[in-house]
Amino acid sequence: MKAISLTASFQSLKKGVLMDTVISSIIPLLGSVRESLMSRKNVVATGIGYKTASGKKTGELSIICSVERKEPVSRLTSSDLLPKTVDGISTDVVATGRIRAFQPPTGRFRPAPGGVSIGHFEITAGTLGCLVHRNGELFILSNNHVLANSNDASVGDAILQPGPYDGGLNPADKIAELAEFVPITYSGSSSSCPVANSIADVCNFLASVTGSDTRLQAVHVQGADNLVDAALARPINPADLQNDIHGFGSIADTAEGTLGMAVKKSGRTTGLTTGEIQQIDVTVNVSYGAGRVARFHDQLIAGAMSQGGDSGSAVLDNSNHLVGLLFAGSDETTVINRIQNVFSLLGVTL
Amino acid sequence: MNMKTISEVKRASEPELLALPDVVSVGIGLDEKENQVIVVGLAKENERTLALIPHNLGNYPVIVKITGTSRAQ
Repeated sequence: MKAISLTASFQSLKKGVLMDTVISSIIPLLGSVRESLMSRKNVVATGIGYKTASGKKTGELSIICSVERKEPVSRLTSSDLLPKTVDGISTDVVATGRIRAFQPPTGRFRPAPGGVSIGHFEITAGTLGCLVHRNGELFILSNNHVLANSNDASVGDAILQPGPYDGGLNPADKIAELAEFVPITYSGSSSSCPVANSIADVCNFLASVTGSDTRLQAVHVQGADNLVDAALARPINPADLQNDIHGFGSIADTAEGTLGMAVKKSGRTTGLTTGEIQQIDVTVNVSYGAGRVARFHDQLIAGAMSQGGDSGSAVLDNSNHLVGLLFAGSDETTVINRIQNVFSLLGVTL
Repeated sequence: MNMKTISEVKRASEPELLALPDVVSVGIGLDEKENQVIVVGLAKENERTLALIPHNLGNYPVIVKITGTSRAQ
């Protein structure tokens, strides 16, 4: 047993030495052609790595040219074409997109993508979800409690990027104005039922004429119809926004969140995180602070993948399909609006 | 035979479930064998509430999870 183990170790060592020798020979070769490769269209990086063939990594070491995007050969000039080999060493072309210096999502972004800090001028900070359209006009999508201060804002109010907690100032960092929000109905909030209010008025009149200082108020005992915590903001200048999700790239389409689906989000506080849809068709009570609780129907629940400040994050599947809008969570769960309800109530599309 | 779907059973049962102390959510999930179940979320352990939650609703199993209170983030 020990002899077999030693043989395996020796083989592994031998393979490692061989690989080091190959790499040592490629490094100066790459150094001699790097400038030439980097000068070609779309090339953003060059390095040494294993070649990929038919989507699978091979054992062959190669010169890897990372490009912003792959283009058909017919669209490239002969001087921009990458060679298939350099002195017998294969090359490989990998599309990586544009490479940017890392910037935390709490910073100021222009253009600003989904996944970064944003907020109404009177809140702390939440997350810019994504960009949506209505009648050809561009809007920012996030939560009501991020863009509309949990019902307390007015249309036209300043939306800052980054949000106030992250240093956003009004008007210097104003990126948009509140355009519309879906009101949240809280349990215990004033009722709009005319019958209940009339009964309360009669009782309060009787109380006043009898000298009592006690009054009745008609309230909702539960929020009956909340489906989303969502709002739209109209950008001051559409060029200040980028139709991408920070760290994930562009949204491919929408999809229905299903049980067991792997999901991911890019958020202001916890950045890029992943999870799995654990429950669908969820009715859940959500606390909004100061004793306010709202009941939401038809929600998705994933495992813990967010914290305060991540609200408003777009939730995507692994193919970058948009499935929901993150808005709440506990130590164990993340609560997500179905994107179909969000789009339907706001009348928007991607 | 007109068997109700798990969504219909859940919706019919959730007003009573959500009226129990510390029940914060009712949804549809999967058990270890990938069977659909009704999931009741509790803010914290509550023996009296646990005793009042049935093991089955219609023909569907009910499982309880301690999820904590969900807060807007």
